[in-house]
Amino acid sequence: MGCTDACVFPYPQGDTSLRRFTLEARRLGLNALVCIDAEERGHIHDVLVRRGVVIEGESMQEVVAQVKKAQRTADLILVKAGDAAFNRAVLTYRGVHILRGLHRAPKRVFDQVSAKNAADKGVAIDIDLSPLIHLRGAGRQKSLQCYRDVLQLHRKYRFPLTISSGAQTLLDLRSVREITHLCAVFGMEPHEVEDALETVDRLLEPSGPVEVI
Amino acid sequence: MKPRPPTLRQKRRYILAEVIPHYRRIEPRQMYIAAFEALSSLWGDAHTSELQMAVISCECGYCIFRCTRGSEAFVETALSTVTEVNGERVALHPMATSGTLHALKTRMRPLPEEHTLEGVELAGVMYSGIIFQRQKVDLYAKGIKNQETLYFTRDEMEVD
Repeated sequence: MGCTDACVFPYPQGDTSLRRFTLEARRLGLNALVCIDAEERGHIHDVLVRRGVVIEGESMQEVVAQVKKAQRTADLILVKAGDAAFNRAVLTYRGVHILRGLHRAPKRVFDQVSAKNAADKGVAIDIDLSPLIHLRGAGRQKSLQCYRDVLQLHRKYRFPLTISSGAQTLLDLRSVREITHLCAVFGMEPHEVEDALETVDRLLEPSGPVEVI
Repeated sequence: MKPRPPTLRQKRRYILAEVIPHYRRIEPRQMYIAAFEALSSLWGDAHTSELQMAVISCECGYCIFRCTRGSEAFVETALSTVTEVNGERVALHPMATSGTLHALKTRMRPLPEEHTLEGVELAGVMYSGIIFQRQKVDLYAKGIKNQETLYFTRDEMEVD
């Protein structure tokens, strides 16, 4: 198990190549990266690269169609959050691994029903650190409030959490030490951060009952 | 003014932060402005005044900050949110905290050797750049200051 940044955008979406990202990630103490639309997979410079796809859809039908298409090529499927009904539908769909961008969605789109759905289906909620790093004032306060709310529901319903930097450049990547400090701003404990950084591995290899083959 | 006796002085801690990219030349004053803005926007003016943050030095790709003992975590968190200094994109990665400057200076590594690179064409745009640590290549679009920067590795660029 290793520390994974659950969403980075390498070149051409960002300004940093995939291999350069892996070099920087290793230096910062990360063991794995989920690279969106990455051309390579596997271990690069001792960092495990997984291919992720971010899906944005207006309706659930659109999302289902895109998920089916992406399942063939991607290790991890991330869906951008929408309104409450959309999120509930996404969280009950088996092919989705992570729901991200809750801080951008309107207020109260992730409630106790969504939290229970996420816990039952094992879909993770992503905590994107980019608004904490880049935003100031009201925007950052709204994101912190959203993450506090998600954390409160996580402590009650135990759905998985992931942490991502949303980095488009190597300057946006953060070390494990920095991630722990940033997550402490909205009340996340170090052991919860450690757990969230290891969630991606568990999403791809969920634990189940022992089977005799 | 007569300095306070040692027993009445406030205990201090020093924080070593790495500046990325290492070749950006940043004035300590500019770094102080950026760090103070990050601190006050994250923790508010009242709390920031308690932290007593100061920039001790800013050279060779590293920056040393001073703060009151017990407030290191607050300063480190705020330093993680610094994204630009004097209009230039940088990242600050806090590396270590200590009670003495000497201990931090032992953690500082010498700057990597750099080689300049000219006339690299990528997607129809001409770039110049720097190669360092044998495999890292930073490219700058030629011409105007603060233009697009690309971060690649040597094997992707296929340069000699």
